[in-house]
Amino acid sequence: MRSEILYPGAFPMVRVELAAGEQLKAESGAMVGASPTIDVESKMEGGFLGALSRKLLTGEKFFFQTLRASRGPGEVLLAPTVLGEIVVLELDGVNEYMVQKDGFLAGAETVTIESKMQSFTRGLMGGEGFFILKIGGKGTLILNSFGAIHRIDLKPDQEYIVDNSHMVAWSATTSYTIERASSGWVASFTSGEGFVCRFRGPGVVYIQSRNPGGFGAWIRQFIPVSE
Amino acid sequence: MELHPNALCFGSELPASGAPCLVRFGGQGLTVTFASESSAGWSEEVPFTALSVSVGGLDHDQLVLKWNGDRGERALYLKDADLIRSFRRSAPEQLHVPFEQAAELARLARRRRRMVWGVVAGVVLVLSAGLWWGGDLLVALAVERIPPEWEQKLGESAYRDFLAHQDIIKEGPAVSAVQEMTRRLVEQIPNNPYRFEVSVVKSDVVNAFALPGGYVVVFTGLLRQAASAEEVAGVLGHELSHVLQRHGLERIVKRLGLVVAASIVFGDQQGLVGLMKRFGVELMTLKFGREQETEADRTGLHLLYRAKIDPSGMIRFFERLSEKDEGRMEWLSTHPMSHGRAERLKTELAAMPRLSPVPFTFEWAAVRESVGAPLSAEP
Repeated sequence: MRSEILYPGAFPMVRVELAAGEQLKAESGAMVGASPTIDVESKMEGGFLGALSRKLLTGEKFFFQTLRASRGPGEVLLAPTVLGEIVVLELDGVNEYMVQKDGFLAGAETVTIESKMQSFTRGLMGGEGFFILKIGGKGTLILNSFGAIHRIDLKPDQEYIVDNSHMVAWSATTSYTIERASSGWVASFTSGEGFVCRFRGPGVVYIQSRNPGGFGAWIRQFIPVSE
Repeated sequence: MELHPNALCFGSELPASGAPCLVRFGGQGLTVTFASESSAGWSEEVPFTALSVSVGGLDHDQLVLKWNGDRGERALYLKDADLIRSFRRSAPEQLHVPFEQAAELARLARRRRRMVWGVVAGVVLVLSAGLWWGGDLLVALAVERIPPEWEQKLGESAYRDFLAHQDIIKEGPAVSAVQEMTRRLVEQIPNNPYRFEVSVVKSDVVNAFALPGGYVVVFTGLLRQAASAEEVAGVLGHELSHVLQRHGLERIVKRLGLVVAASIVFGDQQGLVGLMKRFGVELMTLKFGREQETEADRTGLHLLYRAKIDPSGMIRFFERLSEKDEGRMEWLSTHPMSHGRAERLKTELAAMPRLSPVPFTFEWAAVRESVGAPLSAEP
């Protein structure tokens, strides 16, 4: 499996080359185009209950689509729904990433996806809800973000603070705690930050340069109110 | 030879996401073999005496071994259970204490998380059980705390929204008749916090409704179908009682509580915004519970009585409704009718001292004619 990001920037698309027999799972609706050798199937990853829990708990799509090069090699074009960058990671079997629910675009068949319950405080304040995706296994993992993706490398015990709605994915070796942005409750909210996540290395944190919730709120003011 | 890494190693010259490596424990220490191409087959030997043990990772579920090597500080993250067991078997005694301390920390974190979730689940369970069994009390308490001004704002926005798309009768016999009835009823309400407002809307619907805060809508269909002014006054008495007892608010709080809880649990914060928008719609389609209906019937009856309006009009209207073809009566869909309701009111009325009603100042026939009812036809 080889992948290449086309049109990097706000409106990227990823091209994945599949060898004969290879398959890829992608967020449903992610496929833009494919060679005629590729079959598209929809599949409930993790079985019915797994899919149901993923749908109910993380709000991710119930079905993933499986793109299989069943009639010979071919290529697939994939794109996320929102405008923003795409990043391709290679998982080596020991690396695991926690991914917020909208971050997953596609992954090799050997990549495992499960929904995982966060701790109560993180779920309540972290801005991703109580359940996030834990992605491990081996192979290519393709994530997407809202806005640009920025990677932060953390050495052991190095700390970094990220606004809670800007998180995309982070290594399972990093940990984070939720705290108020300023020392006072009022200042935390008037500063426009509310809660932030204090990450602690080692590991990698991917953040997005735009806040989807904030963008939604901004755009809402221009939408005429209808009944 | 292909390497199957079982751990991640961190260090200043290694990638920030960690270098996959193969860790093996021997008698004297551990061997780390790196999988990366640049250093294929390259291994590092670390004696046990150089290691410090701690826990790490998002959920404190990984064993962290740190040492200061030739290439600076190194941290090894292990999460494979077999590997951790193998470390425990081969580690010398002086590492047992820190290992047990680390294991205890991991267990503690796990236990604490389970406990928090247990407590949360318990609270949710108790709350839902409480809502199920004693919810009315909680709702009543919550409703009591909401000032009438909020209620009025809420009702008013829904009322204006609704009227914006309706054909309103601004003046005429129907409007003054409805206003007179309302005035006479409202005068009898002690310490009335609401400023009642009534509109007559052109529609065949045989219905009237009251929004929280005292906004009442009467459809001309109701005026056409009612045989007497007392029947309409009965319906108004019932509707005003819903407002006074804050039934609409009770329903909203009840429903809202559930939705808010669900959207918090399932992390759908966007849902809350949509919820606020749905408020208006919700108000319009609000159905009252059976107990609320009975309560509104009873207090409506007393209100009529105090206003010296013959309450038997209300009872007659209910009787006629329960006889009628149900499909035609819109009022029935929001006000489930049963023979029992009229019967209960009859018993209630019989227990009250006899009333000498004060008639209305308007001519009912003229009112009905003004909204297009046939002159003498029995409704």
